Amino acid sequence: MKRVLALVAVFSLVLGVSGCSNNGGSEPVEITLAQGKPEIDGALKEYATTYESKNGVKVNIVSCGGDSCQLGDKLKADYQAGNMPDIFQIQGIEDYNEWKEIIMSLEGSDWMEDTSLTYYVDGVPYGFPVTVEGWGLAYNKDLLDQAGIDPATLVNYDGYVAAFEKLESMKADLGIDSVVSMAAGPGMYWVTADHNFNSLLSNGVDYDDMSVVDSLLAGDVDGTRLQEYGNWVNLLFKYADKNVLTAGGYSDQVNAFVNQKAVFVHQGNWIDGDLANAGASFNIGIAPQGSMKEDTNGIFVAAPSFYVINKDSKNVEAAKQFLSDMVYTEEGNDYIVNKAGMAPAFKNITLKPTGKMTNAVIDWNNSGNIYGWKQYNFSSSFRTDTLGPIYNQLATGAIDVNKFVELMTQAFKDNAK
Amino acid sequence: MQSFVRKYRENLSFWLFLAPALLAFTMVIIVPFLFGLYYSFTNWTGGAQASIEWVGFANYVKAFQDPRFLYSTIITIVYTSLNLILLNVVAFSLALLVTSQLRLSTLYRAGFFLPNVIGGIILGYIWQFIFNQATPLLFAFIGSDYFVNNLPILAKADTALLALVIVSTWQYAGYIMMIYVAALQNVPKDLIEAAKIDGANAWQRFRNITIPMVAPAFTVTLFLTLVNSFKQFDVNVSLTGSGPAVNFMGKPIPGVELLAQNISNTGSVLRDNALAQSKAIIFFIVLVVFSLIQVWISKKREVEM
Repeated sequence: MKRVLALVAVFSLVLGVSGCSNNGGSEPVEITLAQGKPEIDGALKEYATTYESKNGVKVNIVSCGGDSCQLGDKLKADYQAGNMPDIFQIQGIEDYNEWKEIIMSLEGSDWMEDTSLTYYVDGVPYGFPVTVEGWGLAYNKDLLDQAGIDPATLVNYDGYVAAFEKLESMKADLGIDSVVSMAAGPGMYWVTADHNFNSLLSNGVDYDDMSVVDSLLAGDVDGTRLQEYGNWVNLLFKYADKNVLTAGGYSDQVNAFVNQKAVFVHQGNWIDGDLANAGASFNIGIAPQGSMKEDTNGIFVAAPSFYVINKDSKNVEAAKQFLSDMVYTEEGNDYIVNKAGMAPAFKNITLKPTGKMTNAVIDWNNSGNIYGWKQYNFSSSFRTDTLGPIYNQLATGAIDVNKFVELMTQAFKDNAK
Repeated sequence: MQSFVRKYRENLSFWLFLAPALLAFTMVIIVPFLFGLYYSFTNWTGGAQASIEWVGFANYVKAFQDPRFLYSTIITIVYTSLNLILLNVVAFSLALLVTSQLRLSTLYRAGFFLPNVIGGIILGYIWQFIFNQATPLLFAFIGSDYFVNNLPILAKADTALLALVIVSTWQYAGYIMMIYVAALQNVPKDLIEAAKIDGANAWQRFRNITIPMVAPAFTVTLFLTLVNSFKQFDVNVSLTGSGPAVNFMGKPIPGVELLAQNISNTGSVLRDNALAQSKAIIFFIVLVVFSLIQVWISKKREVEM
């Protein structure tokens, strides 16, 4: 009998472990923020600690992003487990639709008057802009000077053709492996089918003008615009290092630029961290993309992601206050600009980050010569699963530029059905 | 009465000992499976949705009409066949090697087994480095124009699939080898000696004694390699991703996306959890059928002592 009792005791212990927790009491206010930028995880956690000691509100930071963690999947798992964060990050309309049942309106928030980047759906404000990011075609100013190329000529397709040809002929003198550092291999479809794809949608088009997007969504393809764009993609691929282009990852692509083995890189200001880590000392600028015969004067700048508040949260007010304090307290501004190194999305923040690329983006933004990010109007599945493979085939040489245009046209038509 | 109490006690301890495992199995396998089965007939997205509606077999129909899913099924079968052959040939050869009169054979055994303790994700990244950085240097060094002028191994769908087979063989051969080693050591020495006296040569002894005696091991190893190849996910994700694109049924699609990854992408990228779930159910049924056929065939080859 003793033995049986012992067994029962062990058994109940095993079961009991998960049972004991949460014993009431007046708990301090606690909010959770889930975000998708692993590079700012440390800075954000540090800010959360400062915030807690000052305001008595505990803020848990959950970071999920990069290669190893998908924020979308993490949120779904948390939601199913009844553990949805109070503040979470969305990227655009697709994320919004997935969570619209629980995203609350931020009408009346004080920070809205200091930014033009609040995320609206049907005129209702929902998202707090996390930062401002931008890309065009980043260049190594020192190498361009050495080759005698004026970056001001890099405003249309022909300007780029001339520059690329000249640089190609001077490869040995400049000590470079390739002119452009571009990636179109598996896992890098976000560079081609997200970022580069935006040139087709946005280059030379007014910031809020959705006509190109709308007609493509309707399956109505502007042949000339697409052909010019196809030539541009082909040009980038032609002057890129084949190995990096077809099989390289993010670090292969960025390192070629950081180590001055390529003059251009098709990435945005988030590579500042990589540049700083490598101690890169050369001057950097960002040129508009040459996806058109016509001149274009502007790069693609927008808020890449937004914080939204879960309306089922028990601490909605604390969550709202946390966002507001990021904009209107010294510690909050210090976190955004100095600690996280992000370009602030708010006009009242006067601090400047140190990153060269980020400053180039801020300069473009201040000049007002910017085009929007319109790629997220197409579903992630369409971009990654349908367009990505088309770019990849052009990169590996499986298809030529005419077939590329044909497949793209077909893809838009199928998508519209 | 006495015996009844004893029997009752024994039964109780039996169930109590079984309970933790049974509970865990029910909670993490049975219940999610039933949930999954239910969700595969609905429009469930996994996110915050107003209501979940019953859609019948719509997801299954969609799965069978999806060129990507069909392509994934085909290359998964190709991958499994290649892997099944290469893996078992390598593992059995290694087993023969380390059970022969080789010096330091224990050391080799440990060495061959070692890759198996490295996680698949890490292993994929290590080999990605080898294929992307090291092999081009090697090809340049030996001066092979063919390889230098061609794309990297992981940049073409067919060679990338082959790379996947090589890596999973490298990872898994040591483990399968251990099973063969155990089986080989259990082949009775007297049988072999008797055959030797009767004048059987090495090949005849191997073919007619060793092979039938280790047949039960083949049942196990073939089953393990079949199931594991079918379920290949981690190395696929980290080594090749969805892979270089190919055209299939007139559509540009990822070229090295095995079934498990296709299901995962359907949920994460396409954001159609219900469709992913129905694909997973199809996957489960296919896998069960293949495994049963394999076990049935292998069992017939086993001999009783």
